Amino acid sequence: MLLTLDGIEKSFGDHPVLKGVSLRAESGKAFGLLGRNGAGKTTTIRILMGVFPADKGEIRIDGAPIDHKKIQIGYLPEERGLYPKKIIFDQLTYFAELKGMRRKDAGHAVDRWLERLGMTEYRNKRLDTLSKGNQQKIQLVTALAHDPHIIILDEPFSGLDPVNAMLLKDVVKEEIARGKIVLFSSHQMNYIEEFCDDIAILNAGEIALQGNLRQIKRDSRRNRLVVRTEQAEPIREKYGDACTVMEDGSLLIRLSEGVGKQATMQQLTGAYDIDEIKVFEPSLSDIFVEYAGGKA
Amino acid sequence: MKQFCTILKFELKYYLKNKIFVGVTVFLVLLICGVMFFPRVLEFFDQEDTVDDGPRPVMLIRAEQEELAPIVCEAFSSAFTDYDVRSTDSDPDALREQILQGEAECAFEIRSLSAYTYLVDNLSMYDMNTTIADEVLQSTYRMQTMLELGLSAEQAEQILSCPIDSQTVSLGKDQFENYFYTYIMIFALYMVILLYGQMVATNVASEKSSRAMEVLITSTDPTGMMFGKVIASCIAGLIQLIAVFGSALVFYSINRGYWGDNAIVASIFDMPPELFAYMLIFSLLGFFIYAFLYGAIGSTASKLEDINTAVMPVTMLFVIAFLVVMFSLSANTVDTPLMRVCSFVPFTSPMAMFTRIAMSAVPWYEILASVAILIASVVGVGVLAAKIYRVGVLLYGNRPKLSTLLKSIF
Repeated sequence: MLLTLDGIEKSFGDHPVLKGVSLRAESGKAFGLLGRNGAGKTTTIRILMGVFPADKGEIRIDGAPIDHKKIQIGYLPEERGLYPKKIIFDQLTYFAELKGMRRKDAGHAVDRWLERLGMTEYRNKRLDTLSKGNQQKIQLVTALAHDPHIIILDEPFSGLDPVNAMLLKDVVKEEIARGKIVLFSSHQMNYIEEFCDDIAILNAGEIALQGNLRQIKRDSRRNRLVVRTEQAEPIREKYGDACTVMEDGSLLIRLSEGVGKQATMQQLTGAYDIDEIKVFEPSLSDIFVEYAGGKA
Repeated sequence: MKQFCTILKFELKYYLKNKIFVGVTVFLVLLICGVMFFPRVLEFFDQEDTVDDGPRPVMLIRAEQEELAPIVCEAFSSAFTDYDVRSTDSDPDALREQILQGEAECAFEIRSLSAYTYLVDNLSMYDMNTTIADEVLQSTYRMQTMLELGLSAEQAEQILSCPIDSQTVSLGKDQFENYFYTYIMIFALYMVILLYGQMVATNVASEKSSRAMEVLITSTDPTGMMFGKVIASCIAGLIQLIAVFGSALVFYSINRGYWGDNAIVASIFDMPPELFAYMLIFSLLGFFIYAFLYGAIGSTASKLEDINTAVMPVTMLFVIAFLVVMFSLSANTVDTPLMRVCSFVPFTSPMAMFTRIAMSAVPWYEILASVAILIASVVGVGVLAAKIYRVGVLLYGNRPKLSTLLKSIF
């Protein structure tokens, strides 16, 4: 299954929020939707889910316009919240029923997921008696119980302890392996790097960067060198402003236009006692800051 | 449709499992039970202690003309059965002293059959003694005069107590008979709409503030959501009303014998069925129109605390409608131009038109027009409310202005 968003535009009043957003997400892969606060991620997700229509543009599944009656979407919103005063099992079945499941099937599915997440003991408790992390796991059931084709997870790891984060990772990996389209939206770049094959960076309502994450990293400008050495001072003096010290103490040298990487590396290893020297490969964080950091 | 049923079931369960809802219903049923069994219980106790009557308060009569004393005393004794009426010849100062000392509750200084002074320690607001005394003295005076003019006692008696045989035929509505159940119905409608309207608004706002809305809005259509909520609250309200009025009817029929001579209570329970049908139509439609408004307003509030100020305009509108109808009802002026207008305006017509139907003769086409306008308005307000809801539930932070809301809807 292939999900495509094609030139989505949306304004609220006079304020344009999305200015022609186009995305491609395939089943069996996780897709990372990145962007700063207010970049338009939630609006994109809501349009995808049919909460409100786009002013312009189209959403397609395998080339045909999306039919929300046929394509089920599971959603874990960033703003978590269910009915605090209601019995967990009751409300989870209710949400699954709203998604079109029959009552009996909904009950079975909810029980299965509660067991998978180790929450069976809380089945007949009120939601507000649970800890925040456990409430999150309950919320995850609302996104998954009806076995959706597309799963949208907005900041899924925030508020989870490492054990629960591991559990969620496993669940997400299983769903990806079952051929679901998984859409991630997160500021925690390490998780995106771990899961997502493809990413898109949204900046002020426009796609600033989109593509395969490894490819993006490889294509980024390779004009910086990382140098680990005991003789940091003389090198810093030599390169001046072009040389900065990284957190782990290594030096980061930005090469000027037209200066060869190989030549510089040979020059440095010849002149100083160098422990390690390599071309700097940016992390997703660095890429994010570079593409989303400007306006917005 | 399936979704709508799911929402309806879920929301209805919310009411029926709500402790306050159940508590209030049970309390009302018990209260009605108590009221309806009251005469039976009263009679049971009356039979047991009729003997224990206690001493009656003393009323002193002092006549300036000695020959009047026995006549007046006798007449007052039969008129004031609650008092121990005694004749006295103590002087005025001693009389005052006796009252201040508490030996007597009150006294009459009779100067002639047409002049007296009433003495009492603290004059109660509800003291009717002078009114009774006026009547007693008047008839005594008439009696004496007739006797002096040479009529026999029997002749005089006949003239004074001439019985009148009268019959009243009401060609329109009997306002006395209809007054009480109209009053009760309007009041019940008022309570139900305010109570359930608030409940709908709070329900919507709490879903929003708990952010359950984030999931709900992506799972279902807001129109179905809105209609599901309102209809669920309507069913809950009906269940409560049926419980209260049904139990009243059951308890009344058990105790009918004990209430038999009470015209007011009898009139309430002998309400004509067509009026009951009108009541049902108007209360349902009135309920819907306000519940939709309350629901829409609830969706614009981000926090539960905002609800009270947010619903104020609607509540004011409703209270004004209620007051107009109540004043007209109490003053028996249900066909004034104001009431006529109110009986066609959708937000006032449920109460105004029902009152007019119950209390006066309203042509059928006026009723039909009023109901038609009301139904159209309910549909219109319902659709508008669902649209406001769709926009409102996604807006957090400051409550949107009406103009902003309308702009984003159309």
